[in-house]
Amino acid sequence: MRLLRKLGLAATAWLLAQGAAMADTTVKWLHIEVNPAQVKIWEEVARAYEASHPGVKIEMQFLENEAYKAKLPTILQSKDRPNIIYSWSGGVLKAQIEADVLDDITDQVKGYSDTLTPAALAAFSRDGRVYGLPTALSQVGFLYNKELMAKANVDPASIKTWDDLLAAVKTLKAAGVTPIVVGGADKWPLHFYWTHLAVRIGGKPAFDAALRGENGGFAGETFQKSGELFKQLVDLQPFQNGFLGFKNPQAVGYFGDGKAAMTLAISSVYHLQRALAADKVGLGEDKIGWFDFPVVPGGKGAPSDTLGGITGWLVTKGSPKEAVDFLKYFVSKDVQTRLAAGNYIVPVVKGAEVGLNNAFMKRIADNLAKSNYHQNFYDQSLGPSVGRVVNDVTAEIAGGSMSPQDAAKAIEAAWKQGN
Amino acid sequence: MARRMATSPAMDAVEPAIAPIAARGPSWDGRLTVLVLFLPPALLLFTLFVVVPIGEAAWYSGFNWNGFGRPTNWIGLDNYRFVFQTRAFWLALRNNGLIIAVSLLVQLPLALTLALMLAERFRGAVALRMLFFMPYILAEIATGLIFSFVYDGDYGLVASVWRAFGSEAPHLLASTDTAMLAVLIVIVWKYFGFHMMLFIAALQSLDKSLIEAARIDGATRSQTLRHVVIPLLYPTIRLSVFFAIIGSLQLFDLVMPLTRGGPADSSNTMVSFLYNNGISRMRVGYGSAIGVILFMTCVTFAFSYKRWFMRDE
Amino acid sequence: MSNVEITRAPFDPAVLYKALFLSLVAIFVAVPLLATVLGGFKTLGELRVNPFGLPRHWEWQNYADILFSQRYWQLLRNSLIISTLTVTLTLIVASMAAFTFAHVRFYGSSMLLSYLTLGLLFPAATAVLPLFIKVRDLGLLDTYLGVVLPQVAFSLAMSILLLRRFFKDIPYELLEAALVDGCSYIKFFRYVTLPLSRPILATVGTITFVNSWNAYLLPLVMLNTDALYPWPLGIMVYQGEYSSEWHLILAFITLTILPTIILFLLAQKHIVAGLTAGAVKG
Repeated sequence: MRLLRKLGLAATAWLLAQGAAMADTTVKWLHIEVNPAQVKIWEEVARAYEASHPGVKIEMQFLENEAYKAKLPTILQSKDRPNIIYSWSGGVLKAQIEADVLDDITDQVKGYSDTLTPAALAAFSRDGRVYGLPTALSQVGFLYNKELMAKANVDPASIKTWDDLLAAVKTLKAAGVTPIVVGGADKWPLHFYWTHLAVRIGGKPAFDAALRGENGGFAGETFQKSGELFKQLVDLQPFQNGFLGFKNPQAVGYFGDGKAAMTLAISSVYHLQRALAADKVGLGEDKIGWFDFPVVPGGKGAPSDTLGGITGWLVTKGSPKEAVDFLKYFVSKDVQTRLAAGNYIVPVVKGAEVGLNNAFMKRIADNLAKSNYHQNFYDQSLGPSVGRVVNDVTAEIAGGSMSPQDAAKAIEAAWKQGN
Repeated sequence: MARRMATSPAMDAVEPAIAPIAARGPSWDGRLTVLVLFLPPALLLFTLFVVVPIGEAAWYSGFNWNGFGRPTNWIGLDNYRFVFQTRAFWLALRNNGLIIAVSLLVQLPLALTLALMLAERFRGAVALRMLFFMPYILAEIATGLIFSFVYDGDYGLVASVWRAFGSEAPHLLASTDTAMLAVLIVIVWKYFGFHMMLFIAALQSLDKSLIEAARIDGATRSQTLRHVVIPLLYPTIRLSVFFAIIGSLQLFDLVMPLTRGGPADSSNTMVSFLYNNGISRMRVGYGSAIGVILFMTCVTFAFSYKRWFMRDE
Repeated sequence: MSNVEITRAPFDPAVLYKALFLSLVAIFVAVPLLATVLGGFKTLGELRVNPFGLPRHWEWQNYADILFSQRYWQLLRNSLIISTLTVTLTLIVASMAAFTFAHVRFYGSSMLLSYLTLGLLFPAATAVLPLFIKVRDLGLLDTYLGVVLPQVAFSLAMSILLLRRFFKDIPYELLEAALVDGCSYIKFFRYVTLPLSRPILATVGTITFVNSWNAYLLPLVMLNTDALYPWPLGIMVYQGEYSSEWHLILAFITLTILPTIILFLLAQKHIVAGLTAGAVKG
C-alpha cells in the first residue's frame, strides 16, 4: 500500500510543517532516490539531525532521475532553489562551478574532509576547492538471473571476453530466454555499453587523448570500434521487446520480475530491483549474480579498470551554513556504516566499509579498491550537453538509425562545439 | 490542432478606424484618459512577454550560452549551422510535414464526412457530436498518457488485441518505425472533433435556399454535395487547413507523455526538438536558434497562406 | 452512445452504412476513454488480462487513495489559481484594450491593433528560452505570476480581436448619448459595455480558461517546486513515480480530467461556441 504509506508521510510532513513555525532555518534537500528503504534511512538521519540541532529543519524533496536532469539547469536559477542537490560529479559539476551556482565549502569541511577516500573527494573538488561531498561509489557490470542462465545452459563464469558475451546471447536466444533487459527510453543505460567498451579498448590514455583532441578525438579509432562492437551486440537483437520504450525503472523491474537473463547496470541495482519488481520481492540473493564487463582482446584497458559513478551532494549558492553542517553529519562514518550495512552504497568514508556485510557489495568495494582507472559515466563527465549527445547516439546505434562511425563523429562534433 | 489559435488568422483586423467621435461633443480629455489608462497594460504585457522575447531569441541565437550570467561568447550564425547539421532537426521537420499530411488527407475528410452526417437532425446526433468533440477539450498531457496506456506493450489495449490473435504484442511507441504512426493516430483522435464542429457550424449557417434550388433543378444528393455544398464550405475548409498546419507547428504536449520525441528522435516535432535539445540542456543560444527558425516558419506560412488562399475573405 | 436510431427511411442501405460508420467512429473515440476510467477500478493483474471489460471486482481503493491524498487537491488548487488569475487578468486587460480600439479614434490605432495581432502568428514555444530568462530576471521563476503573465500576454491578441468585434456592435448612439449626458468613457465601459458583453466575455473566458487549465510547456519551464505544480505537471511526475502501475495512473488520469469533463457537460454550448468562435465568422 504505497499510497497509504505516502499518506502517512504526507501527514507527518504536515505535522512537521506545523512545527516549522519555530524553526529558524530550513535546509531543502533534493534527491532522486527511488528505493523506499534507503529513503527511509535518510529520513531517519534527517530527523535525528533535527533533534540534535533545534531550530534547523531538513526538508526532503524528490524528483525522478530524468526529470531531475532535465530540470536542473532551471532549478538552479530559481530563487527558491534547494540547498543540497544530487550530483554525479564530472563535467556537469564543472559547468555548475563555472556558472557560479555552487557554494565553495572548502573551509567548512577542513579537517573533516580527511576522513573521505581521496579519489572520491577529488571528484568533488576543483583547483583545490571543494564544492560538494561524495557519498557513494558504484560499478557498472552485468547482473544475471541464475535460473534463466541455467535454463539456457550458459555458465556466467565463462563470460570473459566480448565474444563470450555475444555467444551467451545467442545461446540464451536459442533457448527462448530474453538475454538482456535495458531501459532504452532513458538512453543512458545504453550508453554504458558504448562507454565501457571504450574503457576496455582504449583505457585511460585513449580517453585523456580524446579530451585533448588527439588521435581524432572522440571520432578516433577507439570510439569507432566501441560503436562497432556495440553494434555486433545490437545486431543479435539481445534486448527485450520494445526496449527503446522502457524507462530505466521499468527495465529494472523487468529484471526483478525474472523476465530477462541479464542487465548491464549500476551495482546498486542488485538491491534496487527488489523495490521495483512487480511483487516488491524481486530476485533473492540466491538467484542473482554478477560478472564484470567482458574484456576486449587486444584492448589497452586493464581488466581491473572500472566504469561507474562517484555520486554525492552539492551545496547551492547562498545556502545557510547548516546545509554543509548537515551534509557532514550525513556523510559521517556512522551514517555511512549504516548505509553500507543495508547494502545501499559502497561507502566513501574511510573505515565505513566494515559495515558491508554482503558478499556482493564487498566484491564491488574490492573491485573499486583494485581499480586503477575508474571512469565516471560519460554522460556526466563530458558535461551537460556533450553527455546528452553520447546518450543520443548510443540510443541511435541501438535503434539502428546511425552507424558507429557517424555516432563517434557526432560526439566529436558536439565536443568541438563545446555547447 | 489549434489550441491557442481558436480564431481566424485575423489580420483582417486592420480596418479603418471608425467612430468619428471627435467630430463633436466629447472632449479630447475623455479620450486621453482612456488611452492612458486602458491601452498600456495590454501593450506592456504583450511587448514584454511576446515581442521582446522573440527579439531576444534572435539576439541570443548568436551566442554559445548556457543561460548563466550574461551571454559573452559570440559565435555568429554557428548555432543555425549546428541546427541544420543535426539529423534530429530534419526528422522533426519531416514529422511536422507528416502531421500536416495526415491532417489534410485523413483528419479533414473524416471531419467533413462526419459533419455532413451529423449536421442533420436525428436522435443521437447531438450526443455523437459531443462525444466526438470531447477529445478536443481534454488536455494534451492527459490524452498522451491515456494513449501511452493504450499502446503499452504489456498492459495496453492494442497489446491485448494482439494477444487475442495469439501473436506477441508490439511496442508501438518503442520502435522507430511505428512511434510516429502511433502519434499520428492520437492526433487524429484528438483533433478531428474540433474540425468537425467547425464544419457543422458552417453547414448550419449555409443558405439553405441554394441547396433547395439545386435539388429542384434535379441534382442528385451527391451532385448537390459536390457542386453546391462543398464549394460553399471552401472558406471553412481553408480555415481548417490553416489550423491544422499552425497546430502541427506547435505540437508538443501530446508528444511528451507518449514518446518524449523518441526513440532515436523519430517522433520529435519542432517544439519537442526545441525542448529536448535546447531547454533541457540549457543551450540558450542553440535553442533560441531553433525558436527563431520556428518563428520564421510560422510567420512566413501565415502570411503566404493568407495571401494565396484567403485573399477573397 | 452508439445506438444511433434513424427516424427516417429505415430501410435505406445508405442509412445502414452511415449508422455503421458512426458507430465505428464512436467506438474509436469512446473505447480509450472508457478503458481509462474502468482501468482505474482494476488491479494491475486484472488490467493485464482484461483491459477492456468491466472489472470483475471493483477496486474503489485506487480512486479513494487519490481522492484522500493531499497531492491531488493541491494539484487542482494550483491549476485553479493559475487559470483563474489568467482568465481574470486576460479579461480585464483585453476588454480595456478592445474598448479603446472599438470606441476611441486616435492616431496609430490601426497600427497598434495589427501589432497586437502579431501574437496570433506564433506559439509561445518559439521564444520559451528568452521568456524563461526574462521571467528569471524579473524574479518570477517559481511563482504563479511567472506562468500567468506570459499566458495572459499570449492570449491577448485573440481576446482583443474577439472582444473588439463584439464591442463595435454596441450601437454608437448609445455611447454618444451617454457622453453628452456627461458620462465618462470609463463609466460607459463599466456600466454599459461590460454588462452588455456578457456572452462574449464568457466565450473569451472559456477559451482562456481551457487553454490555461491544460497548459504544460510554460509551467514546465517556469515552475520548479512541486508544491506549485498544476495538474498536467503533477500527473507527469506521478506517472514517473509509478512507472508501470497503470491501474493507479489510470485512476489518477480519470480524476484529473474529471473536472474538465464535468465543466464540458455543464457548459457545452459555451465551450463549443467559444472554441470554434471567430473561426466561423472568419
